[in-house]
Amino acid sequence: MIDVQELKMGNRRALAKAITLIESDRDDHRQYAKELLNSVMPFTGNSYRIGISGSPGVGKSTFIETFGQKLIKSGSKLAVLAVDPSSPISGGCILGDKTRMRELNRLDGAFIRPSPAVNSIGGVTESTHESILLCEAAGYNWVFVETVGAGQSEYKVDTMTDVFLVLIEPGSGDVLQGIKKGIMELADILIVNKADGENLKLAERTQIQYNNALNILNYPKSWKPKVLTCSSIENLGFENVLNTLNEFRLIGQKSGSWGGKRKKQTVV
Amino acid sequence: MLEQWRKAVFEETNGLKPEDFSWETPEGIKIKQLYTNIDSENLDFKQSLPGFPPYVRGVKASMYTVRPWTIRQYAGFSTAEESNKFYRNTLSEGGQGISVAFDLPTQRGYDSDHPGVKGDVGKTGVAIDSVEDMKILFDGIPLDKVSVSMTMNGAALPILACYVVTAEEQGCQIKKLSGTIQNDILKEFIVRNTYIYPPVPSIRIVTDIIKYCTRYLPSFNTLSVSGYHMQEAGADAAMELAYTLANGKEYIKNAIDAGLDIDEFAPRMSFFFGVGMSFYVEIAKLRAARLLWHEIVSEFKPENKKSSLLRTHCQTSGWSLTSQDPKNNIIRTTIEAMAAVLGGTQSLHTNSFNEAISLPTESSARIARNTQWILQNETGITKVVDPWGGSHMMESLTNELVIRAKTLIKEIDDEGGMVTAIEKGIPKFRIETSAIAKQAQIDKKEQNILGVNKISNSDQELEEVLEVNNEEVFKHQINRLQNVRTNRSQTKVDQALKALTDAAQREEDILLELTIDAIRLRATIGEVSKALEKVFGRHQANIMNVSGVYGKYFKDELNWKEIVIGVKSFAHAQGRNPRILISKMGQDGHDRGAKVIATGFADAGFDVDLSPIFSNPKDIAKQALENDVHAIGISSLAGAHKTLVLNLLAALNSQGSNDILVFLGGIVPNCDHKQLLDAGVKAIFGPSTPVYECVDNVLEYLNANNNSV
Repeated sequence: MIDVQELKMGNRRALAKAITLIESDRDDHRQYAKELLNSVMPFTGNSYRIGISGSPGVGKSTFIETFGQKLIKSGSKLAVLAVDPSSPISGGCILGDKTRMRELNRLDGAFIRPSPAVNSIGGVTESTHESILLCEAAGYNWVFVETVGAGQSEYKVDTMTDVFLVLIEPGSGDVLQGIKKGIMELADILIVNKADGENLKLAERTQIQYNNALNILNYPKSWKPKVLTCSSIENLGFENVLNTLNEFRLIGQKSGSWGGKRKKQTVV
Repeated sequence: MLEQWRKAVFEETNGLKPEDFSWETPEGIKIKQLYTNIDSENLDFKQSLPGFPPYVRGVKASMYTVRPWTIRQYAGFSTAEESNKFYRNTLSEGGQGISVAFDLPTQRGYDSDHPGVKGDVGKTGVAIDSVEDMKILFDGIPLDKVSVSMTMNGAALPILACYVVTAEEQGCQIKKLSGTIQNDILKEFIVRNTYIYPPVPSIRIVTDIIKYCTRYLPSFNTLSVSGYHMQEAGADAAMELAYTLANGKEYIKNAIDAGLDIDEFAPRMSFFFGVGMSFYVEIAKLRAARLLWHEIVSEFKPENKKSSLLRTHCQTSGWSLTSQDPKNNIIRTTIEAMAAVLGGTQSLHTNSFNEAISLPTESSARIARNTQWILQNETGITKVVDPWGGSHMMESLTNELVIRAKTLIKEIDDEGGMVTAIEKGIPKFRIETSAIAKQAQIDKKEQNILGVNKISNSDQELEEVLEVNNEEVFKHQINRLQNVRTNRSQTKVDQALKALTDAAQREEDILLELTIDAIRLRATIGEVSKALEKVFGRHQANIMNVSGVYGKYFKDELNWKEIVIGVKSFAHAQGRNPRILISKMGQDGHDRGAKVIATGFADAGFDVDLSPIFSNPKDIAKQALENDVHAIGISSLAGAHKTLVLNLLAALNSQGSNDILVFLGGIVPNCDHKQLLDAGVKAIFGPSTPVYECVDNVLEYLNANNNSV
């Protein structure tokens, strides 16, 4: 079965098998999964958990491909949990995320695991949180959870991550209406992707529009959401993304909101 | 009269009406049992004559009665020496031109010593790393006399530069060069995936080549807009027509934007269509293509009549060839060749019968060539211009195809042109959906193919196979590359490459001119490509997959239902769906098979992971391990399977993933099976295996393997 020692040493195969076990719906597997989680629990909690969402086609995978390489180059270990919706008809699904993470997939410091989201809207399953814990036990200090922006899933991701990134299309600010408000209230950082070439000006305008919209909203939190721009293709703006993430963590730790959120998450 | 005929049908068939016999083509055209003058009387083009607009009846007034089509066989393999020998042989046996096939690393702008291309070196064509290779390739073949066609798109700049420098060093005047470079990058993004840079800089290169050639190589054909690969990838005739012509239109728009006059370059554009087994439709397609192109180009107000003429090369369908009973393919190819000729093609390549199994051998290539010779000399086919003209059926069918293609072209125009449509994935999506539907129809035996779903002949004679000794070619190329690099002035090469990189940053510079400078100094194909990549970047495909299309066709079939139940019970026993990673390795970008298979497995209830195309075995092994798949399905069509699959098995072993089962599909010669199976491959599926059979088979192995967590 799964060698906890191997898992803790960062053995890729052990981690992969452990996630399979967590995701299994067989009763005996579930029981065993619980035991496994209990035994690794002391070694969890030491990653920066990042939820990444956005509508299909906005460039989530490409964003992760570029940003992930940056993190790994600076010595981090990154796990990416990508959740794909299953086909409602057959129950099977096509998981194509890694086709857009070619270079990241090649790096030793990266572990990428797409998971079919069985019977859940938009993506995040109960097991996602447990998978995060396993990645942490295996020594990954950054964990990305990528979901399809289908509305409800965002709320779930938000409950299991430290920070919530929402990627947006240049030009999407023009239709900034009530429907977006829900996501915006959850987002800690909004990133206008594809800020390159002909889209550059449009992306900057979109950034301003979102900033204006955010000014109208009330924030009970100590953090006022930021709107950034980046280009995954031209590798621009990522230093800023990283700095903002670090700033977010620092402010959260100072204000105590960080610990509070984490406490809620530890309930398995 | 017509009423009496209907009555006669009724009586002959015990009560059936003509409507009961009509059938719908994949393009959605209803083919009737009988056509009469009512079906064609209102068509304007019916009155036109060959050599006159809208050219439905042919681009020349006399057509084959004076000069038959050019027999142009596409070939090239392993090393420049081997290919050269083959070309000289072809020319001495009556071949009328050379058509060069390059290996995939060359097409993707990699030198043979680039890590990650080893298995593909010399496989599907000749490996060219520098002008030294090109000089050997054309040794003894005077380039000012023999017309050379080069199937090159991605690395068009350095390859065309090698060709020009070779001609110079042969002592030819370059303005006399006549030949063709495919240079059709747009279709690479739609189907074949043999691109290097993203769409926008890629089109800049196409225009750059047109510009340079217009000035310095006036008789050279700068662009061969290709629909062939779309048909091979599953497009129906209307899609092939529409997207090819829409691509042509996009190139024209770009060239005009770059300051060229339509009459300067349009007469040097040519086309390349595939011809499959749908006999009537294929003839009508070529007629419709000429009419549509005339209409499209006329919008740009050309003065030269040649600007709106659609001249085309055709090739018989590779996809229609079966690995079962391969000699039947001779018959298929003959029929397809006839359709191409009756449609009025300017040149033709006929496939070798064994190409669904391996590369052509000397004898199979000869039969293919002879097919055309016989058509030209023994049948009388060439004696009449457009013999189908005036046929009510053919004129009506031509018109129907024109209408359907126009609808598809409009969809592209409404997006603002092909580049946007490609970015949105529109043509790709339509072609892939069509490919999966076609596969489902064949698997369901709605479309008959002898040997595949009708009368399988199990005891086949052992075929003769041409095998390229990849290791040898590889060593050979590495040696020559080292020689080239030692005997050149590195400083000068570096300067030339730097100049190229700088020029790429400035819109107005002509890149081909600077590429020729670099190639003359013995820069390699890979170095030139890299110099441009620094500015342009390398394109990453956005892979989308269609699901639901295959299963839809089968949902009421008993054996399919059993498979779905089988998948469910596996899932129940294991606690999760069976999971398979579908992969393309090496430089082979033909992903039709992989896509069709992925859809079939997902529709049956598998969770299907896709690898990026152009992956190497190590990446696949890592992905399989992290995703904890039960199985890997490799699709291989370009002959690199042995090197790559054996490396994959080794990589899986070394990381302890012995529980992952490996399956192989595609073109794998029988003589390789034993070695691969012995090494650990579970099963090998030939190109015409029904998808449901693959699913069933894989599931059986998974159940037997019974690997629990």
